[in-house]
Amino acid sequence: MRPTRREFMTWVGAGGITLGLSRLALAEPVAFLARETLPGPEGWNPAAGGKGRIDGVAKVTGSKLYASDFRAADMPGWPDATAHGLLVRAPDATHLFTGIDLAALDMNARPDVVVTAAELQRAGTRVPAFYAGDLFCPVGQTPLYLGQPVALLLFEGFDAFDRARLAFRDRRLVTFGAETGPVKAPNYGAWRFTRVAGATPEAPDIYAPIQEGWISPGYTDSGGRPIWKVLPTAAGPAYAKGATHGEEIRAGLKDPDPGMLVLERAFETQSVDPMFLEPECGLAWYDTGRETLEMVLGVQSPYEAADAVAYLLGEARAPWRPAHIDAQFAYIGGGFGGRDHTPFPLYTALAAMFLPGRPVRLAHDRFQQFQGGIKRHAFRMRTQIGVERKTGRIAAFAADHVLDGGGLANYSPSVAVVGATGAIGIYDIPKVDVTTVAEHSRGVTAGSMRGYGTLQTMTALEVLVDEIAAALPMDPIAFRRRNALKTGGRTMTGNPYSDTVRAPEILDRLERHPVWRDRGVQKAQAPAGILVGTGVACVTKDYGAGADCSLGTVEIGPDGRIAIHADAVEMGNGIGTALANRVALHVGGIADRVTVAQVDVFGPLELVTSGDSYSITQAQQDEAARDPRWVPGISSATSASIGAHVGTQAAAQAAQIVYRFGLWPAALDLWGIGPADPRAMLWEEAFWQDGHLILAGLDPLALPAIAARAHALGGVTGAMAHAFSRWSWSRATFNLPGGPWSADIDALAIRRGAGGFVRLERSAVDFPPADYNRIGAAFSSMCGTLVRVEIARATGALRIAAAYSVFECGQALVPEVVLGQAQGGFAMGVGQTLLENLPAFEDGPGNGQWNLGDYLIARGSDLPLHALEIEILPPASPREGPKGMAEVVMIPVVPALLNAIADATGHRFQALPVTQAMLKGALQ
Amino acid sequence: MTSLSLTINGRAYGPMDVRDELTMNDFLREHLGLTGTKFGCGAAQCLSCAVIVDRPDGTSHTNPTCVVAAIDFDGLSIRTVEGHAKDGALTALQTAFVEHFAFQCGYCTAGFLNEAQVLLERLERQKVARGDLEEIIGQALDGHLCRCTGYVKYHQAVRDVILADPGRYLV
Repeated sequence: MRPTRREFMTWVGAGGITLGLSRLALAEPVAFLARETLPGPEGWNPAAGGKGRIDGVAKVTGSKLYASDFRAADMPGWPDATAHGLLVRAPDATHLFTGIDLAALDMNARPDVVVTAAELQRAGTRVPAFYAGDLFCPVGQTPLYLGQPVALLLFEGFDAFDRARLAFRDRRLVTFGAETGPVKAPNYGAWRFTRVAGATPEAPDIYAPIQEGWISPGYTDSGGRPIWKVLPTAAGPAYAKGATHGEEIRAGLKDPDPGMLVLERAFETQSVDPMFLEPECGLAWYDTGRETLEMVLGVQSPYEAADAVAYLLGEARAPWRPAHIDAQFAYIGGGFGGRDHTPFPLYTALAAMFLPGRPVRLAHDRFQQFQGGIKRHAFRMRTQIGVERKTGRIAAFAADHVLDGGGLANYSPSVAVVGATGAIGIYDIPKVDVTTVAEHSRGVTAGSMRGYGTLQTMTALEVLVDEIAAALPMDPIAFRRRNALKTGGRTMTGNPYSDTVRAPEILDRLERHPVWRDRGVQKAQAPAGILVGTGVACVTKDYGAGADCSLGTVEIGPDGRIAIHADAVEMGNGIGTALANRVALHVGGIADRVTVAQVDVFGPLELVTSGDSYSITQAQQDEAARDPRWVPGISSATSASIGAHVGTQAAAQAAQIVYRFGLWPAALDLWGIGPADPRAMLWEEAFWQDGHLILAGLDPLALPAIAARAHALGGVTGAMAHAFSRWSWSRATFNLPGGPWSADIDALAIRRGAGGFVRLERSAVDFPPADYNRIGAAFSSMCGTLVRVEIARATGALRIAAAYSVFECGQALVPEVVLGQAQGGFAMGVGQTLLENLPAFEDGPGNGQWNLGDYLIARGSDLPLHALEIEILPPASPREGPKGMAEVVMIPVVPALLNAIADATGHRFQALPVTQAMLKGALQ
Repeated sequence: MTSLSLTINGRAYGPMDVRDELTMNDFLREHLGLTGTKFGCGAAQCLSCAVIVDRPDGTSHTNPTCVVAAIDFDGLSIRTVEGHAKDGALTALQTAFVEHFAFQCGYCTAGFLNEAQVLLERLERQKVARGDLEEIIGQALDGHLCRCTGYVKYHQAVRDVILADPGRYLV
């Protein structure tokens, strides 16, 4: 059942390089495999009894799991010795870069090879479009951003590397000349989202992005800022039409009638670091004999990372162009978005190509991770909200967002869009106008991070909502309930959510909870010198990226043992355990083996793709879909928030097929039920219990017996599937043995008995319409949080006395992991609100001097470890699938804390973080 | 270069000459391949690199390895995450970490495991009152940083190991 390395899914990458991607250590000797495959071929699987994660034992015994654990000697077939790379970055972005002072290094700290922009030019490498910008700042130019690499130093031995690393950290060995000021560059993207609802909720919108398309202004001012006003010569009628509606909304807010209460506030959020505990790391070896670049990486986006490396080297001149790239992917020590589309793998590849024949390890230390790792965007926002005094209904909302994207575009355009379209949170607002622009700056590059723009915009919203509720006056929860979007209501882009909208239910729970109910008593009973306040917030967060792919294989052996392979990455989110549990719902047993981060074993699907699934036209998609192997995308990045929904989709669908066309016919055979018997159609009525298939009136059948019979009958014993979602899953029909089968997948291969996988032609397919790219979000989950704080008036010291979060996630595949994500999200929310802060420029992380100690994240003593209550709502219906939840649980913590602080102190902070010193200042 | 001899998980290493500046973390990870001990910050702030140092008097404490020279461990006996389980059998603490879903990404787990193990052994020698337990666990683990979990399940796992055997740890 176990695939081998030779079953690589290979395809021709950029420039004709063949590309293979695999789960790390897939075909290594048994001793190595035992540490790598989870839970291990014969190991205890704690998940099987519902007592732990499938990777639990490996993680408490120190097994080699993470990319940073591997050295060349750990890799069979590689040379034994490991060389080391040092990525030197610029601590200055306002002066000309003049070089690095290698002569100042002791002789025993000198590199063996130095790679700079000049070497890349000689080699003929290319920069993938997503990372556009020089990989190294050329001598004589001003760095694009603080922390931009200027050189890659390669050392054959560890000691020289270690000495040089410290020298570059502690001394000024990167030299600069004349002051130039920062490099100016165009913004990364600007959009305007405007919606004007019809006269009634049922009426068509007067204007909405989903009808009219997304619009961007055509002009910028002399400073590079977009001109949002409608100019007489506006570029194209589309912008003018939307912007005209937007300006009307703003005019109404500027000059409201007496029945309308309008508040306008500015709010700023800070840059923070994902601070995953394992700094980025990679290991690579260019085997000159085989012309193969072997890589070990730890990223959230394995497919993209390998593809980007292939593009980087695709047109390189000999000897810098490999014929093959074989990338293997390890577990990651945290991600939170910061390892999704990171340029780090590009530098790892360069390290190997410039020290051919020697495995090279490139690893950030924490200073370097702060200096070069992807950050959360700092936002500057100005928001207006207008409420009808009489009804308490929000009538209009307008906001302007400016994001600091740092030095490279990365995900800035996407974060700007998601932040903007999430700016009205859980509310149903008939008139909305939001502008957003992601700007280039000399700061460290910002990109994906948990919350992805909405943490920033919904924090601004939820503190403003609290303030305006108080101004009306109206109870804050009653105000939220009055304005909450109901099922079927339209989002800012004009589409309804595709899934359940449970904000009213969550608000009810918040209102009934003792932390809220007793807030007055707690305040009244505050000890002398202590200010007590209670805050509430309720938010929604989309899950899914609008182009989500899922690959999964489920196989069952004649002994009933189950194996699962999937492309999703384990980043601590328990995806392996979630896969096992979701598959078990269909095939009656917990998998003995789950292999994740694997994109090499799906060759039988023979997938091909073309175009950009975000920008493809309907005509292009229709044309492409004529190829029965075409799908809109093959594999996408993993984020914790889509792990359950996306990462398990293909495996779950595959498991259904194994059940329906393999196990169910075998069970019928064992029961002696013939095809003409009406009970033969009751496959949906049967259910699994304690490893047995049960159908009323018949003897329960044990899974191994069914599996053995399925193999004996030559039934379907394995299924391999691909799924794609653009806010709706692709749906296709396949002719299976036993009849046609339609499912939310778009490619399928099956295995019968002990045979190999064979691709099935799809007889019909519906890909989600290209127009769905105009949707801001269609899948969303909701979360509310209550926090009670106690603040010492004399010192400003804040203690979180009690907290409660309630959220929905559909079917919780691994409730313990869901609970843990919520607890972790709470901690990260506390850090975002009270502790974490990175200055934007010269004093910030780009200077290479930042580490923990200066940068504070929440410790246990910062949290209400024994007074944090988490409630996971049961699914809205028994058939509701899993919904993403790992992002939404963090977001309301931030505004709830700010609202609690306001309740305690009477002071509304309009910027993050709120430190103890700031609290003390506000109280004096 | 300085000669270094030490005991790791009951096994003697050395004498061997190591560079004076080499950190204990790099000695474990780069020289010995014992990568269960993690590198997190290099500033003794996250303690994912902490190992157990066993004193001659039978007591133990944890020590960060990322900012301490390997030669400072000369003559010492230490335990790392690789040394807890015996013959494949997990300790009660390891089992509790697994069964409580105490960790997510797991990168900080070695540090928490070592710190909590030292706590358990200390409580065996100096039992404490049940009413003080949560605070004692909180104090013991507070230096360790975790970005995934919010710490709750780590604390619950340690507490439940103690409460499962109260005669051993509690007065």
